[in-house]
Amino acid sequence: MSLTPSQWAALLPLLYPVIGGCLVALMSLDKDQATTKWIRAAMYGTALLAVGATFWYLTDLWTTGSQPVFFQLHMDRLAQFTGIFVVVAAALTILQGWDHFHQEGWVKGETLALLLFSVSGMILFAATTHFVALFLGLELFSIPLYALVGTVRARSESAEGGMKYFLTGAVASSCFLMGGVLIYGLSGTLDLAVAAPVLAAKGLGTDPLVLVGAALLLLGFLFKVSAVPFHQWTPDAYEASPHPIAGFMSVATKGVAFIALLRIFPGSLAPLGAVGVKMQAVVAVLAVATLVLGNLTALVQTNVKRMLAYSSISHAGYLMLGFVAGTPAAFNGVLFYLVIYLAMNMGAFGLLTAFGLVGEKTTFDDLRGLGWKRPAMGVSAAIIMLSLAGIPPMGGFYGKYMIFRELVATGHVGMAILGVLASLVSAYYYLRFLVALFLQSPGAEAERLASDRPAVHAPLAGASVLVCAAIVMAGGFLQAFLANGFARRALVDGLGLLR
Amino acid sequence: MTWLNSHPLTFLVFAPTVLGFLIMALPHSLGRLSRLLGFMGALALFVLSLAWLLGHGGTGGTILIERSPWFTLVGLPVDYHLAVDGLNLWLVLLTTFLVPLTMLGTWNSLKDRIGTFAALFLLLETGMLGALMAQDLFFFYLFWEAMLIPMYFMIGVWGGDERRYAANKFFLYTLSGSLLWLVALLYLANKAGGFNPILMGQAASALPFGVQCWLFISFAVAFAIKVPLFPLHTWLPDAHVQAPTAGSVILAGVLLKLGGYGFLRFAIPIFPAAAMHYAKPLALLSVIAIVYGALVAMVQRDIKKLVAYSSVSHMGFVMLGLASFTVIGTQGAMLQMLNHGISTGALFLLVGMVYDRAHTRMIADFGGVAVKMPVFTAFFLIVTLSSIGLPLTNGFVGEFWILNGAFLSGFGWGRLYASLATSGVLLGAVYMLWMFKRVFWGPENKDEDSGTHHLHSDLNAREVAVMLPLVVLILWMGIHPRTFVAVSEAPVANLLREANAPPIRTYVLKPAVHQAPAVHEAGPEGHAAKPAAHEVHR
Repeated sequence: MSLTPSQWAALLPLLYPVIGGCLVALMSLDKDQATTKWIRAAMYGTALLAVGATFWYLTDLWTTGSQPVFFQLHMDRLAQFTGIFVVVAAALTILQGWDHFHQEGWVKGETLALLLFSVSGMILFAATTHFVALFLGLELFSIPLYALVGTVRARSESAEGGMKYFLTGAVASSCFLMGGVLIYGLSGTLDLAVAAPVLAAKGLGTDPLVLVGAALLLLGFLFKVSAVPFHQWTPDAYEASPHPIAGFMSVATKGVAFIALLRIFPGSLAPLGAVGVKMQAVVAVLAVATLVLGNLTALVQTNVKRMLAYSSISHAGYLMLGFVAGTPAAFNGVLFYLVIYLAMNMGAFGLLTAFGLVGEKTTFDDLRGLGWKRPAMGVSAAIIMLSLAGIPPMGGFYGKYMIFRELVATGHVGMAILGVLASLVSAYYYLRFLVALFLQSPGAEAERLASDRPAVHAPLAGASVLVCAAIVMAGGFLQAFLANGFARRALVDGLGLLR
Repeated sequence: MTWLNSHPLTFLVFAPTVLGFLIMALPHSLGRLSRLLGFMGALALFVLSLAWLLGHGGTGGTILIERSPWFTLVGLPVDYHLAVDGLNLWLVLLTTFLVPLTMLGTWNSLKDRIGTFAALFLLLETGMLGALMAQDLFFFYLFWEAMLIPMYFMIGVWGGDERRYAANKFFLYTLSGSLLWLVALLYLANKAGGFNPILMGQAASALPFGVQCWLFISFAVAFAIKVPLFPLHTWLPDAHVQAPTAGSVILAGVLLKLGGYGFLRFAIPIFPAAAMHYAKPLALLSVIAIVYGALVAMVQRDIKKLVAYSSVSHMGFVMLGLASFTVIGTQGAMLQMLNHGISTGALFLLVGMVYDRAHTRMIADFGGVAVKMPVFTAFFLIVTLSSIGLPLTNGFVGEFWILNGAFLSGFGWGRLYASLATSGVLLGAVYMLWMFKRVFWGPENKDEDSGTHHLHSDLNAREVAVMLPLVVLILWMGIHPRTFVAVSEAPVANLLREANAPPIRTYVLKPAVHQAPAVHEAGPEGHAAKPAAHEVHR
């Protein structure tokens, strides 16, 4: 069987990470992998090469435009956008992982292999409307992540967090499956883009079973974006997992889940008008709950990782507000927000690695005074945290601006007010990070302990944080380029929105 | 140079940032060099701003303008629009003047991380100048918010014992107002199709009056927090007392002005009817701020806190002048903003100088300072008298015009409120002179632990060089205020005419600034021409 170039184009972004993952897995069979330097270097090099090849290939595809559908794979601009998004997150994760796993003393090649499989699953998940392929993608990216959360087996909390994530995730996946089955049963087709017009033609648009099916599908997505009330796994899983993996989960999982949600609900199920309206109402209610609960709980955390976990929950709330507005411009805002969010959160978790916080020592007190000791990291931290809080001129402000603007334009002024109040609350806990870095000096005890330990050496994590801070600043000054040239084109060519 | 010729305002606004980042990149060990670089840069900028902005005639029109489309996001165009005109000319010059002066005045106040402080100071200058010059509301909003960041770190890192609390309070307080304002801004931008204030004004006038009122309130709250107007002033004493001297000077000198300027530039022109509708509550809050600020200042034991509360009182005058909707009152408010920048800035500098020597600011720790520091006492006395509003100093002219404007305004409450506010002038004399008496006069405090005991040296040449220009300005503004308000007369008169302000009532005095435009020979029968909003209100 020979494939045409456009068919290869659909497959290769999925294949590169898988091939890389297999190679890394083979390399990690060497039982000296934790001690022999060149094996470690080769494993990380292979992983970076696989990710880099995917990135290069996707950017190349981006210039040629959307590819025809092949084998249920829509390698359109939206899928390419997702691919670039995920691959950049993965590259930052690998860079931070090199430093972090050395600090933890737990270097294993399997981590990288799992990460690469997960990347492939994520691209698949966001590139299809066929239910089976969708479910396959969901499981392909989820199962490696369950393992990755519990990867540092030396820490007992790690296994606990992994187990928690796995059990709740399995329930969500089965709900998602059940939703798909219901829709399949009533429409007779597995392709959700085809199912919607069929159901509408049969007059089943408001059938309770269709509603239940759509609601269960929605539940699956909302679990992955950690929206309230499906958020309980988030703080435990993030706290348990290594910092770079927590960053990857917070960014990539949330990102692809939102993009797939965009492709399925407003993109494919649009012909079922009533379902869309009802789901929008559900999303609105949950967005409010997510914003309120995420922000208020984040206020009282003493552990930075748990704070970042609750902050990522609240960011899911802002992104859901974009779905509440539901206009093409709002989706444009959501995609732009995701790009900035990638840099902000990978940067925030990268900072923990760059400052050399390991294991359980991730409280605000452990950060005291570090901003002055590591000025470049300190400035990056200020940029990233202020951007997370949505203060101009950082990129995070423009993401919120675009979403709130659409909320106001569609008459949801109350929701917009709630959103800005939520970001006011969030400013307090992001400032706490900066207070610890710059405004507090380390205690005498911590000072003494620090002088006993060797100096933190995390050049790759540091470099990745600088890259993230640069992207965040670029989001503040090249906002029109990112929003119109990148995010908007993904929507226009991907979903045919915004024509 | 051709770029510079066509973009002088861009240079003025962003040159401090460039220099600031350069300084940040220098190593910590070069702190002294960084401080010098920062000062020279700020001084050069002051000279340039004088050279570029002055001498364009006093017509009040636009002096310099830069305008080009910047970007369009989600369908709303944003303009890169900077301009200097009669309304902001002197505030811009005040900013570029105070920054190098403050740097020089607090040269040795800070001991560590002086380079970073200078860099943040320059970033703050960009924020202030940008906010003063921006004519597009989105652009203004960016600077308005970005300004918080350097100020937050200046208070939080170099402040007093409660600095973290004060910095967070300052940041979150201001943010709360401006975030709600953002929603109103977005609402109005959707109606107007952009952030141009003129388009926004047209769009606003087409909205139902109730909606206009809500939008005006959200604008007003954001600006009133910055001013700060009475119930929203609680962040100010904390921020002022905890901030290092340089931070207090700039906070009082420029940041507070942005609130009043925001009313004059944006809130009143965009919502004239709603502004008129709320003139009475605004004036009432201003009067409360004047009297309450003065009463609270009277009982303070910390000199710096006393000056902070006197700011609340003085800025109350500014708001009263704006709420009077008369040319003389508004011009008085413009002048009072400059006055307050000069006088209160000078007071904070002087308090900082004595604190650097004695390491205390408690009034009770002093006594008989006049014996030990005669030159310092002389400067402090002049500034105190200016703050009280002695004739021939700047404070008198501003307060007199404001009270005159409130008294003459077409609103029914004008006379009563003007009379009540006059008590603020009296109370001002009480708290300032009483403090002065306890600190400077009397027998020398010989106690070993006292502040006076630690005052070993009078002002040095650097400190005198800082205070002299301020004293010259105090007298100049008191003797010939027209220099500073001539350019704003036409824009202010125009603003009030377009806002359809009620004509002033009677002529008790014929004020000097009040010559041409808004003098209606109609006199007392101004009642007949009252607009509807005014009627509603009564």
